[in-house]
Amino acid sequence: MLEYWQTIGIVAMEGRGFEYPTDTVAARNGRLYVPNRSRDFGERGVRVTIFDLDSEYYGTFGHLGDRHGQLISPTGAAESGQGHIYVADDYMHRITAFDYDGGFVTCWGSHGAGAGELNGPSGLAFDSEDNLYVADTHNNRIQKFTASGAFLNIFGSAGTSEGQLRLPWGLTVAPNGDLYVADWGNDRIQRFTTEGEFVAAYGTSGREHGQFRRPSGVAVDESGHIYVSDWGNERVQVLDADGTPLQVLRGEATLSRWAASFMETNREEAQARASANLSPDLPDVYGDDPHTQSAHVESLFWAPMSVKLDDAGNVYVTEANRHRIQIYRRKSSPS
Amino acid sequence: MTQPDIALISHLMRRAGFGATRQELDAYAVRGYEATVEDLLNPKDAEWLGDDMVRRFDLEASGMINAPGSSRNWVYRMITTNAPLLDKMALFWHGIFATGVPKVINGRVLYDQINTFRRHGMDTFDSILLRLARDPAMIVWLDNQENHGDAINENWARELLELFSMGVGNYTEDDIKECARAFTGWTIGNTEYMMVRSMRDSDWPYGRIAYHFDYRPEDHDDGDKTFLGHTGNFNGEDIIAIICRQESTARFISRHLYHFFVADEPPVPAWPYTPPRDPEAIDILVRAYFDSDYDIRAVLRALFNSDFFKSEDARYRKVKGPAEFLVSVLRMTGEFDIPRREMIPRYRQTVWMGQELSNPPSVEGWHEGSEWIDTGTLVERINFASEQFGDADKPGVSAMIDRICREDTGRLSSEALVDRCLDEMGAFTVSDETRDTLVHFARNGRSRESVAHLLRLSASTQEFQLA
Repeated sequence: MLEYWQTIGIVAMEGRGFEYPTDTVAARNGRLYVPNRSRDFGERGVRVTIFDLDSEYYGTFGHLGDRHGQLISPTGAAESGQGHIYVADDYMHRITAFDYDGGFVTCWGSHGAGAGELNGPSGLAFDSEDNLYVADTHNNRIQKFTASGAFLNIFGSAGTSEGQLRLPWGLTVAPNGDLYVADWGNDRIQRFTTEGEFVAAYGTSGREHGQFRRPSGVAVDESGHIYVSDWGNERVQVLDADGTPLQVLRGEATLSRWAASFMETNREEAQARASANLSPDLPDVYGDDPHTQSAHVESLFWAPMSVKLDDAGNVYVTEANRHRIQIYRRKSSPS
Repeated sequence: MTQPDIALISHLMRRAGFGATRQELDAYAVRGYEATVEDLLNPKDAEWLGDDMVRRFDLEASGMINAPGSSRNWVYRMITTNAPLLDKMALFWHGIFATGVPKVINGRVLYDQINTFRRHGMDTFDSILLRLARDPAMIVWLDNQENHGDAINENWARELLELFSMGVGNYTEDDIKECARAFTGWTIGNTEYMMVRSMRDSDWPYGRIAYHFDYRPEDHDDGDKTFLGHTGNFNGEDIIAIICRQESTARFISRHLYHFFVADEPPVPAWPYTPPRDPEAIDILVRAYFDSDYDIRAVLRALFNSDFFKSEDARYRKVKGPAEFLVSVLRMTGEFDIPRREMIPRYRQTVWMGQELSNPPSVEGWHEGSEWIDTGTLVERINFASEQFGDADKPGVSAMIDRICREDTGRLSSEALVDRCLDEMGAFTVSDETRDTLVHFARNGRSRESVAHLLRLSASTQEFQLA
């Protein structure tokens, strides 16, 4: 079971903080890398922010532009076995690799529907052999490349049948070696071999536990537990290896260190905040729509774009509309 | 289907919607005019691109830190909806209950207001006003969070009577004060924190928090009030009930509906001194208002089915508002089957044309009609339309050219080619003089490129500015 640990983040149009973050990479160098789409493709707002679990900030890279090493609309990211941070860009239909300091390594991608071409890539994941899987979103398929961008394989097509996809988003290669894909438009998680053979599907459309509404991301731990950012339901679900629901998280964000620092220097706002009820009972007019509730209640997940695990089992939930990362960890067993 | 039928349906769709393609017009015409009016008034299974698509691919149109994000969300809906009257009514009420970002700050709150207009814009007028009185954006826009039981703020009360229901000359200054007393305690939750954030334009630490309505009975004035000759311990609901019974309210709202859907009236400040363009038409709408217990849907039904609306003299007599103009173009060019980054510059065009949604020039809204047009805005409008229609790569334009060129255009006379182009643009009608100009231009060639140029020129005409 998971318990809330901490929140990292603050909305910022540039530099330290996030603006519409889309994903989190917990890299093996101990740092976290978060791509930001920014408000309206801001010149300094589009960036990858580097920081760590202690909220130490190390800088940004990948600012707005179409030159090598620049980004326009970063959608997803992953770390390769070589320790490079790969970022998908759904406007340039391009994958770009950076080193840990943000130095440009390589990029590839062109718009199209042919083998190796991309149409709005989003989620990225590497397997143990350092092959890269790309959610080729608007082509409704997954493509497999080498880390240097050589095309290897395609699987999936538009549709609702087993193995078919509708606007796939986040994906992950599990410790069991299989590829799990957030099949966004079909409200399910699909599991494939890394050669693209369909293995299983988890979930149906809905709001009950074990059901999904437009899932955006998926992660799997050593025991096969499946973590899903259930984007349309504004929650994170944990399932066992067979897809049985174990836990539902709705979000319980607290002030991050960066947010607390802001409050310390903005006393009037901090005082008004201290006397406010930030979990109000909303009037009936807002109904029970989770997106609307999240717009009104700051601690709840709002637009959870991805869920990622690190080697210690910490769970990172990237919330685009709240410009922060909520981090959960495994509940320690009672002694 | 006869050409007059198509021309009438085309007129209806320009006014009750944002125009229609030739194929859509055919489908509406099969249903028939009155059935189409009913479909517009009572849409079933309204569909559009969808919130999920917009939220996934246009993040600021989901998080809505600022107004352009929420407005883009609305534009996506307007350009893809199959129930256009819902959004036309949202645009109508937005023009009257004009609420702006400079005070509200929060894009999500403005979005919530537009959603209310869309969902309830054809309900009874008393229920619309009640929702408006409880709308957090309106409360902040007109300072009702500052309207306390022991110290009234008249701003909301004044505009409720002057701009939103009765019009000047139909109430006294005392009525305003008594109205304000009745709305004391109508505020938003966490008022102090939200106002501090609003004044500082703060989106820290985690983006905007949407406002919600909060009634505080301890801050409400429970004494007797005398309003428009009625006395009692009135709360806001009672005041709205009294307002909606007034003949002046019926006439004011009817004139607004006529102004928006039928023919341009002078700006609202001139109404007390200028009779309506068509007093008989206003009488018909007023009767529908009272006969239906203030049901706006019933008033619209009477309007769209009236002779004064269907008259050929009413067609191409209204200047399209900038948002309406933009939407009508984008619906035809079909550029946004999915959200794209290009929506940002497209949406900005409305600003250069004189109408930034959720940012009206004042609480009076925009002065509409011919006042939309000056030398600057006209150039923006023509440039925009001609650029969009001149781009043969846009799906809607490409499809139009495909259909036109399906015939052997080389064998078409210039006159016939012009008529085919105008027909493809939604049974678009132009004056003889304009048609002569287009025919002259059509002599230049018959290639796809020439047809694209002809579409472009057609979108640059005076008539294209009109609904």
